[in-house]
Amino acid sequence: MTGKRLRVFALLAISLVFLLAWAFPVLWSVLNSLKTDRDALAYPPKLIFTPTWEAYHDVLFGSASILPNLVSSMVISVGTTVVTMLMAIPAAYALARLRFRGKKFAGFYVLATQMLPPVGIIIPYFLVLRNIGWIDTYQGIILIYLSFSLPFAIWLLVSYFEDIPFEMEEAAYLDGASRLRTLWRIIIPQVRGGIAVTVVFVFLNAWNEFLFAVVLSGNTVRPVTVAMFNFVSVEQTLWAKLAAVSVLAMLPVVVLGVVAQKHIVKGLTVGAVKGGGRR
Amino acid sequence: MSGRGQVQFRDIVKMHGDFAALKDVSFEIKPGEFFALLGPSGSGKSTTLRILAGLDAPTSGRVFIDGKDVTSTDARDRDIAMVFQSYALYPHMTVAENISFPLEMANMPKAEISAAVKDAARKVRIDHLLDRKPGQLSGGQQQRCALARAIVRKARLFLLDEPLSNLDAKLRLETRAELKKLQRSLDVTAVYVTHDQEEAMTLADRMAVFMAGEIQQVGTPAEVFARPNSIEIAGFIGNPPMNLVPARYSNGDVIIAGHRFKTIMQASGERDVVAGIRPGALRVAPSGLSARVELVEDLGDTAVLDLDCAGTLIRVRVSDENVPREGDTISITARAQDIHLFDPTTGKRL
Ligand SMILES: Nc1ncnc2c1ncn2[C@@H]1O[C@H](COP(=O)(O)OP(=O)(O)O)[C@@H](O)[C@H]1O
Ligand SMILES: [Mg+2]
Repeated sequence: MTGKRLRVFALLAISLVFLLAWAFPVLWSVLNSLKTDRDALAYPPKLIFTPTWEAYHDVLFGSASILPNLVSSMVISVGTTVVTMLMAIPAAYALARLRFRGKKFAGFYVLATQMLPPVGIIIPYFLVLRNIGWIDTYQGIILIYLSFSLPFAIWLLVSYFEDIPFEMEEAAYLDGASRLRTLWRIIIPQVRGGIAVTVVFVFLNAWNEFLFAVVLSGNTVRPVTVAMFNFVSVEQTLWAKLAAVSVLAMLPVVVLGVVAQKHIVKGLTVGAVKGGGRR
Repeated sequence: MSGRGQVQFRDIVKMHGDFAALKDVSFEIKPGEFFALLGPSGSGKSTTLRILAGLDAPTSGRVFIDGKDVTSTDARDRDIAMVFQSYALYPHMTVAENISFPLEMANMPKAEISAAVKDAARKVRIDHLLDRKPGQLSGGQQQRCALARAIVRKARLFLLDEPLSNLDAKLRLETRAELKKLQRSLDVTAVYVTHDQEEAMTLADRMAVFMAGEIQQVGTPAEVFARPNSIEIAGFIGNPPMNLVPARYSNGDVIIAGHRFKTIMQASGERDVVAGIRPGALRVAPSGLSARVELVEDLGDTAVLDLDCAGTLIRVRVSDENVPREGDTISITARAQDIHLFDPTTGKRL
């Protein structure tokens, strides 16, 4: 009994340490975003100050507004997510159902794409996009993001599809449903949790991506992760504005996290309970 | 008898690589029949049912339903309803949605659907559970939900793959009786897969007995019970199973453990045989084959005796009040028509 309580206590303590480590930069950004640039530069850092929306006003409506960049990020992220899911759902379904010789290898390929150092492939990607004239275009960025998000999404979804017994599909066929209707009415509703988890991961990866964006985008397409650096220059760094942009860039992430929290936790635990759904 | 639901299997072979799950299976099911596919596990019953449903394709041979060759017809175009062993209920839908799914797929008008769903649910007594999800039902209720989903659409064939095997013993007996009444009242052709000979005996109008991918016998339960075609079937059907002992045939008699029994065979000559006598066909008598009672299993109204007859184990079912005691020496006899003789090498009935 006491042993169990001790363990719970230890777990809570460890969680708290992690929480603080992660929360600190976020809180720091929030605080700084409410300061004037002068206050933000003060040393030692000021904890007591008069909060102001000035930084937010400037980055949203000032001369260097990041609104277009937020839109840019949104287009890229939503576009990547939609295209990824449209292709990943049927692919994962097929992979879960088919038996073919390269199945193991396909799993390895997916992991390999996640392990490759991005800098290693950025130049080939750049050359490919330049040759087809897609540098600094939405379709270019989305295409590059797809090359990572698609294998990842398929890999994540396959385990959810594999959990659905094939007999259930056969029952649907005998009930008179076509393959497509079976997929839509019987299969998809049962993998909703997995789809939600995948959407969140894919969206966040696209939203947070920086390295490829900085190389492959430009003036027309310029996501907020890249635009942020307008506020860092050789002469000075506009800390309050940079912090305000950071907070704005974090907002969708937080919102998505809160909205999808139930699904994410459920999706992850379902996999865990069923004995490592993440084969 | 309804006029629909006639089935014919013609020379069906199903290979899995080099392994023949079905070797040349042929049989016919008449409209309105309750037909059982009986056999030990792995004998090819489910494979047969799946080929009939159109879920698997035979390697060779043809399947006819109502006289039409459906061998290459899609499962969903065969107008067949099926209850799976796992029930295969749709977990994200309520009971009502599960039952209405086949009707929706058939584009039935909404108003008619809800009436049909209620009707089907009432027939299997789950009409009070329509708003539940399958996960909130007991095993027996899930089974009924699967039944309702199958009967709601008036399909021409009704397939059941071991539908009772996931229920506990008491529920299985109750559901078995209801299933029979249901099939009678619906007047549909039912094909029922089971490895439980008692289920097949009580439910089926006729049955096909499967052994290792082949049908060894087709007939009514009474026929198969009375005249099993082979040693395998003789040992598979009946509880406790038939006594099968090596014996010697001699000019119309059979010699079992040194005792001479009359048979209905008249052939002259001598040969080795396997003699089969059902435990219930043996009688305790003043004279006959002498045996020592090794064990008495009292089942209440009857008792099963394990007898040692000069080293051969023979089981006898007795219903007398004066059941012998363990250690007693008794004599047993059997009527000539109750003695089955089989060829020891081919296993076939003589
Ligand atoms: N997909 C398959 N691949 C290989 N062997 C199979 C396959 N499906 C069934 N079998 C084999 O075919 C035989 C008959 O199976 P089945 O019809 O399911 O038997 P049962 O009479 O128990 O229902 C079994 O030995 C089984 O192992
Ligand atoms: Mg089976």
